[in-house]
Amino acid sequence: MRKSILALFLLSALAIPAWAQSIKLDFPGLADRADEIVDVTLDAQMIRLAAKFLDNDGDEREVREMLGGLSGIYVRSFSFSKEGEYDKGMVERVKSQLGPSWKPIVTVRSRTKENVNIMADVRGDKINGLVIISAEPREFTVVNIVGNIDIDRLSRLEGEFGIPKFTTRDGSHE
Amino acid sequence: MSLEQDLKRALRRESPPEGFAARVLQRIERENTRQRPKRWWRAVAASLTLTAVLGAWGAKTVHERREGERARDQVLLALKIAGEKVRYAQQEVRTIGSND
Repeated sequence: MRKSILALFLLSALAIPAWAQSIKLDFPGLADRADEIVDVTLDAQMIRLAAKFLDNDGDEREVREMLGGLSGIYVRSFSFSKEGEYDKGMVERVKSQLGPSWKPIVTVRSRTKENVNIMADVRGDKINGLVIISAEPREFTVVNIVGNIDIDRLSRLEGEFGIPKFTTRDGSHE
Repeated sequence: MSLEQDLKRALRRESPPEGFAARVLQRIERENTRQRPKRWWRAVAASLTLTAVLGAWGAKTVHERREGERARDQVLLALKIAGEKVRYAQQEVRTIGSND
């Protein structure tokens, strides 16, 4: 009996960190006001499936290697036609879900451009989860990556894989 | 003597009745035509089963491929968005650092 209770306790203790890395990305009513929405929800099973369809050379190989340590990728991005369509307090609401193991890595604050908060679930020298909150006047984006992620590798991925680069604020492409 | 005669009579060569060979051949033909439909239906049933199995397998493969490619596109899009945000933050940090 004691052994069963101990096993249950250990299982619960192991399950909590995995659960704690993912956050609730539910923003009621925001989709109705947005012009464009990006909604990506990929659990571990879908990530494993996606990895099978990545090429085994070049950049896609790097992504495939990166996916090996991930168990969840979630993106919610809302673009609006005019400013003030979303509550700025949503940034704090997302941040309030993060536990004590989450540390802010980079915080960029701007009155006119993009505010970016990057927070990581740091355990020892490993990053076990990442949350990126980007709040622009006409765009609100939250990215949650669950698992061991290399941030430098992630920053090198932009504009690759045949996906068109994002349009910058002045309308030109990077 | 009587036994010998009986045996001779019993074993004497006798021609088959008229049309015997034709009747035998007709019977063989009938037997063959009776068996042929069975073989034909078996072949059809086997073909249909094989087609159904291959069709189901093909449909499953196509579905899995579509799901996989969709997941792959979503992964690339998600990592691209994340990468863009991280790079922007890094650039801002570098800009501030170079101004100091």
